[in-house]
Amino acid sequence: MIRVSNLTKRFGPQLAVDDLSFEVQPGVVTGFLGPNGAGKTTTMRLILGLAGPDGGMATINGVHYRDLRTPMREVGALLDAKSYHPGRKARDHLLALAQAGRIPSRRVGEVLDLVGLGDVAGRKAGTFSLGMAQRLGIAATLLGDPPILIFDEPVNGLDPEGIVWARTLMQSLASQGRTVFVSSHLMSEMALTASRVIVIGKGHLIADSTVDALIKGSSATVVRLRTPMPEAVIPRFEAAGASVQTDDDGALVVSGLEPSAIGDIAFYAHVPVHELSLVEASLEEAFMELTRDDVEYHAHGGATALQPPGQYGSLPPQASWPSGPAVR
Amino acid sequence: MTRTMSPPRSAGTKAPRPTDTLRSEWTKLRSLRSTPVTLAVIAVMVVGLSGLITLAVVTNHRRGAQVVTDPVGILQSAWFLGLLAYMVLGVLVMTSEYSSGLIGPTLLATPKRMRVLTAKATAFAVTALVTGEVVSFVNFFVSHAIASGYASFPDPSLGDHNVLRAVIGMGIDGGLAGLMGLALGALLRNTAWGITTGVAITFVLPLIFNFLPSSWSNPLLEYWPTQAGSQLEEVNRQAHALTAWWGTGDLTLFVILLLAAAGYLLVKRDA
Ligand SMILES: Nc1ncnc2c1ncn2[C@@H]1O[C@H](COP(=O)(O)OP(=O)(O)O)[C@@H](O)[C@H]1O
Ligand SMILES: [Mg+2]
Repeated sequence: MIRVSNLTKRFGPQLAVDDLSFEVQPGVVTGFLGPNGAGKTTTMRLILGLAGPDGGMATINGVHYRDLRTPMREVGALLDAKSYHPGRKARDHLLALAQAGRIPSRRVGEVLDLVGLGDVAGRKAGTFSLGMAQRLGIAATLLGDPPILIFDEPVNGLDPEGIVWARTLMQSLASQGRTVFVSSHLMSEMALTASRVIVIGKGHLIADSTVDALIKGSSATVVRLRTPMPEAVIPRFEAAGASVQTDDDGALVVSGLEPSAIGDIAFYAHVPVHELSLVEASLEEAFMELTRDDVEYHAHGGATALQPPGQYGSLPPQASWPSGPAVR
Repeated sequence: MTRTMSPPRSAGTKAPRPTDTLRSEWTKLRSLRSTPVTLAVIAVMVVGLSGLITLAVVTNHRRGAQVVTDPVGILQSAWFLGLLAYMVLGVLVMTSEYSSGLIGPTLLATPKRMRVLTAKATAFAVTALVTGEVVSFVNFFVSHAIASGYASFPDPSLGDHNVLRAVIGMGIDGGLAGLMGLALGALLRNTAWGITTGVAITFVLPLIFNFLPSSWSNPLLEYWPTQAGSQLEEVNRQAHALTAWWGTGDLTLFVILLLAAAGYLLVKRDA
């Protein structure tokens, strides 16, 4: 089991990981979600002892990574796919790692076959595509057949076939009773792969729940309204507790009110309605909504922000995410 | 696809030993084609250039051009190229781990970081020392054969006073230069900076010291590690220089201190 308690990591004045606590249990794929820059990689590096914390601690089965007796047989971790010397053959790269972990060298051929690189074992790893590099990285994590696996954005750069392969592999590893901890900045990917998710933003914990609960809990109602007289209704919507934004082509995006209530308000205000449509929060938006406040870099002046008042508190109006809502 | 995998287990397996890390580092060294190629290039350059210089000197000498005070130095005059190459290789042994990102998997396999540095240093130092000795001896015999045709040249033989020591000493200095490069690579984690610093320590700074007043330059050059270490390559003791063994001790101590600093930072810093 992986346990992170009050973990904190500072880079200069910036808090990359902020008093983070969570546990990762065996038997399921646990997703580690957050926008780019949220601190996922840093957290994983702290768990693996590659970086030292400024506060708190991270343990694996109760001990620090560096104190594991047989690290490669206890944890397999892939942080960066291309972490190999480009001039070394795939087989030799894995052999060097196996020897360091006191793992029999026959295991090298086994894991290469397992990830589908058996035929290119003698090729220099520098000639590999990103997808092959990911497979080589995953092969390295499996050398010691460890019960705990940690992958940082493993499907980045994989083709659709590779993504399905990686997803299936992770799920079957978990179904064998292993602890599988996978980071991603894509909620949709995690929804397909993971059954639990830990969501972070700006280094701190936002949610720690099952994927299902996360999606249910964040489906705030958002309605698009087109009218020639927006000024006449905006105050009324706001008085009714909704928040209102104007999107690029002049439509109002109202969150926090049911479509029926919005239609009624417009009717009683004698305001013509040209369009009234329900904008359903996708998985991606559920995640964006959760992390909106915690996105490190906002793209200003692009798309319009949605402002659903979710159970995670009110959100500042200037917050925006660089992509529009899905309209149905 | 995961059918071939056994269920999770971790107990009952044997903990990796320092020798496992050493085997791993040796595999890394030998599995890069650039290692033997670079070593071969070093050998050809050192032996070839030393042979050419020897030929030039002995032909001139026959015409009575100069008095030869340091015949071994002439026979192996291109040895500095070997030192330079071993130093650069040493830097690369460390910095290529950082530039490729391999340092991550390396430290995950062996979280005991001092063990990694020790294994890397051992594997590379032995490689540099053994090949350095081979190159030095081949160089000596080739140049010796060239010079022996010219009777007037005071051709040294291995049996002469301190000649064997000088030839062996060059290989030793090759190993030490390699270790110095490795320590600099671990300290600076950047190839260009590592090589620049190594060249500055070995070649540039001693040159600059020569321009200082002799009350400064004499003691500086006497104790400057790479200058002191090179006394092992001399047949005759120089003025204002340590003895061969004190000088080698000086350089060795310097390299050990650099390695200790590198190990301290490797353990202390984020990878
Ligand atoms: N070595 C470092 N030095 C300085 N800042 C860093 C370093 N590593 C990460 N950061 C910063 O810490 C924050 C978290 O980064 P990271 O953990 O890589 O996020 P994620 O993996 O979630 O995208 C980012 O703002 C990033 O710029
Ligand atoms: Mg990351």
